[in-house]
Formats: sequence, structure tokens, C-alpha cells
Amino acid sequence: MIEVSHLVKSYRDLKAVNDVTFKVEKGEIVGFLGPNGAGKTTTMRMITGVLPPTSGSAKVAGFDVFEQPMEVKKRIGYLPETPPVYTDMTVRAYLRFVARVKGVPRSAIAAELERVTTACRLEAVVRQEIFKLSKGYRQRLGLAQALLGNPEVLLLDEPTAGLDPGQIQETREVIRGFGRDHAVLFSTHIVAEVTLICRRVAIIDHGRLLAIDSPSGLQRAVEQTNRVTLQVTAPTQALREQLLSIDGVTALDIRPSPSERGMLTVDCQVDARNGVEAAIARAVAGRWDLHRLERQQPTLENIFLMYVTAPPAGGRRA
Amino acid sequence: MSGTLAVYQKELATYFRSPIAYYVVAVFLLGTGYFFLYNVFLTGETTMAGTFQNMGILLLTLVPVISMRLFSAEYSAGTAELLLTLPLSPWQIVLGKYLGAVTILTLMTAGTLVDLVPLYLFGTPETTTILAGYIGFVLLGMACLAVGQLFSTLTHNQIVAALITAAVLLGFWFVGHLQSFQRSEELRGLFGYLSFALHFVDFIQGLVRTEAVVFYLVVAAITLTLSAAYLAWRR
Repeated sequence: MIEVSHLVKSYRDLKAVNDVTFKVEKGEIVGFLGPNGAGKTTTMRMITGVLPPTSGSAKVAGFDVFEQPMEVKKRIGYLPETPPVYTDMTVRAYLRFVARVKGVPRSAIAAELERVTTACRLEAVVRQEIFKLSKGYRQRLGLAQALLGNPEVLLLDEPTAGLDPGQIQETREVIRGFGRDHAVLFSTHIVAEVTLICRRVAIIDHGRLLAIDSPSGLQRAVEQTNRVTLQVTAPTQALREQLLSIDGVTALDIRPSPSERGMLTVDCQVDARNGVEAAIARAVAGRWDLHRLERQQPTLENIFLMYVTAPPAGGRRA
Repeated sequence: MSGTLAVYQKELATYFRSPIAYYVVAVFLLGTGYFFLYNVFLTGETTMAGTFQNMGILLLTLVPVISMRLFSAEYSAGTAELLLTLPLSPWQIVLGKYLGAVTILTLMTAGTLVDLVPLYLFGTPETTTILAGYIGFVLLGMACLAVGQLFSTLTHNQIVAALITAAVLLGFWFVGHLQSFQRSEELRGLFGYLSFALHFVDFIQGLVRTEAVVFYLVVAAITLTLSAAYLAWRR
């Protein structure tokens, strides 16, 4: 449904988005994960057609964003970073306006308003003027507006920003429900959020797409370069030689333990093979005092940080 | 079409939810009422000629107030992002908003019809001349609003939009006066042709010249096209 290929946006010598390529299929929720300023918003705005790309192309439902903008606009619901609400209007008047522009037939408008206000829990405020609403309500009104007309593609720029935990929960439910038969791309910098609702995660930083995979796929990818941490009392040089002789250990970092004299903390980079920990344990425990050995389970948080701070050698998996 | 209509209705509602529409109409009617009394009762002539002249100048000060928010407010509130991603073409947005502003102009103008009551009660004014004056006034207003709308599409700052509009409109109003400083026939002709005021004078005198009608409509068409083109380009 969404097809982005080699998208680039440059501002003078800054590349806000640099050669980004990905697809979002129907019935799929893709989380767009990256720190602030990574290029998430810029990419989304290019998909909506608000912002022209420097090069590359974006397609929605097979229509090129720049060649057939009308066809694209008819098919997307977009929630920008700041909810685009007219503060002097009432919630109802605002939604009614958007529904009319989206071409919802007059007879169906009431039902459609009912549907989105219920989904976004806005029933209590439909008669209120928007300037009286809290940030959370405005955010949800922005989401309701995007849902109007049941668009095939939803683009949500940080839909949970500014919400309290309960509202975040509800908003995620709305997105999850919507994602069953639509294509949803939503951006966030909250890692936990993508694990909860996304089938795939795209990690972006400095305008580059670093990885796109399922949360578990990313986890697996990182396990390729897994880490085993151990604490042991041993002479440094001998320990280093012993560990490096083990098949599967690729790198070492040995430093004295802060807690106890003579004890060393060792971080071993190991490859994905099973049994490497056991081999380490055997090799060390036979000669020295092994206090602790632990395989670090990569959380998505770590993966994110790993990608964002140091993109893995070998480049992107896109 | 329905998109243009929806934008138009939203625009008009916005004018009446804010003080702008009331302010503009009130100031205009008070001003026009004053000028009307001044012109008619002091001279004793039952014409609208002097009043129309003053209405034109008053219009120049009020058009920026009407037009400044058209796009600038949308930019600064972030709602431009909504309009540009909804299934609306730049032309639909521009036209819907413009028609909203023109409706305010029409209301202002209609309000001044009250002044005609004493004119017809106590004298015998020339109806065709008055009619021509009103046609000219609305056309002048339409051209001015389109210019104002163009400057509002160019900046997110309403004050800047209003100030530039006022300056440009004043320039086009007074450009005719430059004629007296020119020897060159061509330049005199050009200044005369560009003058918003000189075309308006024809209408006030009861002449509905095709050239003048076309002039105002072309000014409106050009500036509206530029607004739509800018929106399309800005994407």
C-alpha cells in the first residue's frame, strides 16, 4: 500500500532523509522508530505529498504521490506531529468539515462521526470548542480526523505523544484494530510501543533507514553478535588467551571489577552458535574462580540503541 | 465543487466566530455613514460620488484585516498541513477561502444600502450611476482581496501579510498620481492603467467600461492563480 523507494530530502548540505526504501502492505502496522530529528516526520510528509522529495519516489496504493496527488490524498489519513485542529471550531463542526472534504456522503456523515468519536473516546467533548480541550483530547481528535472516511492508508506521526498512560493504551488499541485491514505507518521514539503493536519495525537515524524487520527478527539479528558477561578472579593475560582460544568468541573486553579486588569483569562478543557459554564456563571454571556468567538478552531498547549509536558493519538490511 | 463549498463554509464560519467580521463591517458602516453625511448634507447634492470615493479608501484599510488570516493563520496553527493532505486541489482551497472573504465584502457593501434611503426620500439620485458605483466598488474589493490573499499565502505571520497588503494596495491606489510627473506618454498610460483608483472613478461617474471591469477581474485572476501556484509549489 505504501511504497517508498530511494527517497532523499536534502536541505543544502544536510540530508534529512537519505535513500530510504521500504514497503507497508495492507493489513500491516509498521512502526517507524528513531530518535527526534531522525527523519521520521520528513519521510511521512513526503509520503503525504506535502513535501516534495529531492529524489526518489513514494507511492500510495500504486499512485505516485507527485503525479497523482489527488488519488493519493483520497486514500490517506494523516495525523501530523501537531494535531491540525481549528481551535475556534467545536469538535463536531471540525470533524464534519473534514468528513465533507473527504467526500463522505451527507447521509453517512452522522454515522461516520459517531464511529470515530467512539473509537477515539471523544464522545464527552463533541460539543466543546477545541481551544478548551486538553492536549490529550486534541491529539485524539487529530487521530479521529485521520480515521474519517476509512482511508486505506494511515500515516500517524507520534500518535501517542502527549497522552497519559491510559490514553496511550486506548490509542494503541485503536491503531491495532485499524491495522487489521489497512496499512498503517506510525512513528514513535518509544521502543516498547512498537513491540506491542507492530508487525515490523523500521529503525531510522540521521535520515538513514538502518533496519527494517519484525521485532523478533531484529532481536535475532542482534543475537548474531551476542554478548556474554562473566565475573572471574584470574590473571588478566592468561584469561584473555584462554577465552580467545574458544571457538565462537570473537572479541573481549576485560576490566577490573569495581566491587572486589582481583576480580575481573569480562564482556565477550560471541557468535550465534549455541553452547558457546558452556564452553566458556568449562574453560574458565576449571582453572579459576568463576563468580557469574550471563548471556545478555537483547531487548528492543538495546537493539535500537545499538543501531542508532553504531550502525552494524555491512550496512542496512532494507 | 463540494470541497470548495466545504472550505467556503468553514471560512465564513471562522470570520463570524472571531471578532474580525463584526469589526470590519462595523468600522466600514460607521465610516461610510460619516462620509455619507459629510458629503451629502454639506454639499446638498444627492449623489453617492463623494461617498464612493471615500469608501474606496476605507476599503484599502480594511481589506488587509479581512485577508491577512486566510492562509497565514492556517500555517501558524499547523492546519495548512491538514488542508494540503485532504483531497483538495490548491485551487479548491484558494477559491473556497477567497469566496469566504468576498462574502464579507458583499455584506459590508450591502450594509451601505441603508444610506440610499434618505437619498431617495429627499432627492432624485441617478439610479444607474449609483448602480455603476456599486459594481465598481465590489469589483475593486474583489481585486484587493485577491491581492491580500496572495500575500497571506506567502507568510505565516498575519501582521506581515496585512502590512504588505496595505502597502501594495496603497501603491496601486496612488500610482495614477505619478502620471503628473511623467512626460512619456507610454508611462503615463501605464500608470493610469495600473491605478486601482482611476478605474474606480469611471464607475463612480456612472461608466461601466469593459476595460475597467476586465482590469479588476484580471488582477483578481492573476493573484489567485499565483496563490494556487504557490500552494502547489510549496508542497
